[in-house]
Amino acid sequence: MNSKDVAGEIRAYVVAQFLAGEDSSDLTGDYSLIESGVIDSLGLIRLISHLTETYEVSFDDLELGPDNFRSLDAIVDLVTTHSTASAA
Amino acid sequence: MPSPRLAEAVAVHGHLRPHDPALVFNDRTITYGELSDLTQAFRHSLLELRLPPGSTVCVPAYKTPETIALLLAVFHEGLVALAPAPDLGAAALARLSQQARATHVLTGSAIDALTADPVHTDEKEAAGFASADAGGSCLLLTTSGSTGTPKIVPSAAAGFEAFAAWATHEFALTSSDVALSYAPLNFDLALLDIWSFLQVGAQVVLVDQGRATDGPYVQALVAKHDVTFIQGVPMLYRLLVEDGSPNPAVRQVIFTGDSVPDSLLAPVSAAFPRARFHNVFGCTETNDSFIHEVDPATPTPRMPIGRPIAGTDALIRDPDGAIVRSAGAGELLVATPFQTDGYLNTALNAETFTVIDGRTFYRTGDLVTRDESGLYSLQGRADWQVKVRGVRTNLQEVERVIAAHPDVVEAVVVPLPDEQAGVRLHAHVSRRPSSALTGLRLRTHAGKNLPRHAIPTSVHVTDTPLPRTSTGKPDRNLIKSNRLKEIHP
Repeated sequence: MNSKDVAGEIRAYVVAQFLAGEDSSDLTGDYSLIESGVIDSLGLIRLISHLTETYEVSFDDLELGPDNFRSLDAIVDLVTTHSTASAA
Repeated sequence: MPSPRLAEAVAVHGHLRPHDPALVFNDRTITYGELSDLTQAFRHSLLELRLPPGSTVCVPAYKTPETIALLLAVFHEGLVALAPAPDLGAAALARLSQQARATHVLTGSAIDALTADPVHTDEKEAAGFASADAGGSCLLLTTSGSTGTPKIVPSAAAGFEAFAAWATHEFALTSSDVALSYAPLNFDLALLDIWSFLQVGAQVVLVDQGRATDGPYVQALVAKHDVTFIQGVPMLYRLLVEDGSPNPAVRQVIFTGDSVPDSLLAPVSAAFPRARFHNVFGCTETNDSFIHEVDPATPTPRMPIGRPIAGTDALIRDPDGAIVRSAGAGELLVATPFQTDGYLNTALNAETFTVIDGRTFYRTGDLVTRDESGLYSLQGRADWQVKVRGVRTNLQEVERVIAAHPDVVEAVVVPLPDEQAGVRLHAHVSRRPSSALTGLRLRTHAGKNLPRHAIPTSVHVTDTPLPRTSTGKPDRNLIKSNRLKEIHP
């Protein structure tokens, strides 16, 4: 799976889970998901469990800080870094 | 509430100044002479019913000259009128009538025809309800309450006398004043803009309840009848400033019922160039308790409710039940010279009324702050505090932040049950025409101005106006139930 597919899937997941029925045209890669409350602490747990299952990655404790999930770009970076690492 | 003295005062106006206008309704003007004649006709019909002295009758509060005359007749005869909302369902009307032990449901239709439907007495339904004391009260108002079951509030006759005297003095009312009566007749606001005006022999222009959201219609009433006094919720003023024309005859403008958005002050100031502006705070149980003179030219961050009006005592109680003595915040308790002696359903009184230092205070359920100078400001409803993920959150504060976004016309935030979070917030927002506002942009705005837990979890942005209750307030219950239906069809 390339990073473009990953970005598309993660975006679709976030929209379906956290923005159901809303206009998501403003959801850019750098939109602040955490600061604007789209993903709250409970949502973050759901998101992390989705990522670990879908991409078969595991995060260490340091990586679980909200900063790594602050935007779609940050999440995609985190996931692709891990996938590359495990593929190598 | 209205009193036999009020009824006599209106009769005297009818005798001394029979040709002066008392009421205007649609295209009819009813003079004091005609109002007196109509009242006399209803008195005659009431006598034919041969009711025991001090009986209670139910008079659904259709906002018409006939209903006003019928109520005056009831006050004259020393009877008690239960005056519920006219659009109450038949079952609810029957239950209320039974609880108040009303003998008949009365309607005064065209000219002087009285319809009297006997009420089936039901002592089971009336169990726990006190009988109204005709000596102390001749009007029973109802409050809808957040639970939806109306509470019956006897309005004290002596309290009305004191209130009318205060209002007449405070607003310098004379017989040449003309009130726009916007609120429904069953609201306590009618104590001022209908009953107090009739007591001084002034004129009352009745807004037809069916057309209360028709801006051009309401605006035309103000212009055509040289209205001098307006009292109403913010929505009324939104309607009145729509066409931008000034109303120089208006000399008193009263904001009530809801907090006034800052954005409304400049247009209101332009629409009423010669008026004085007051924010007045009150409720059915106590009638008005606070007043604040507003200078629209110098908007304050949030319009205060001001200071207790003469004869009113106000206390602030903190969440632990201690009285806040200096500046601080907590639930507002008030004791006014106008207040009810208690709900007919006496079981409710213990939790709502409390005696402190020998005076009976009403727990408003409103959260207020008081500053060093003694100025009070409303923070929201005590029952509008919710816990989101364990954190105490004030829904109205969230609404205010969202409404402050320049593209927002109005916003309502409702709590929805959530398995994990306990409660999550849903925002329903109407945006300005042609704005490109989205829920995501609104969240960014909220994120800058609110703690994280207070940012609504879901945001519905719409171009249509918010649904409203009969009093013009946003219908929060309907917004909430619609959203719940969307999620769990």
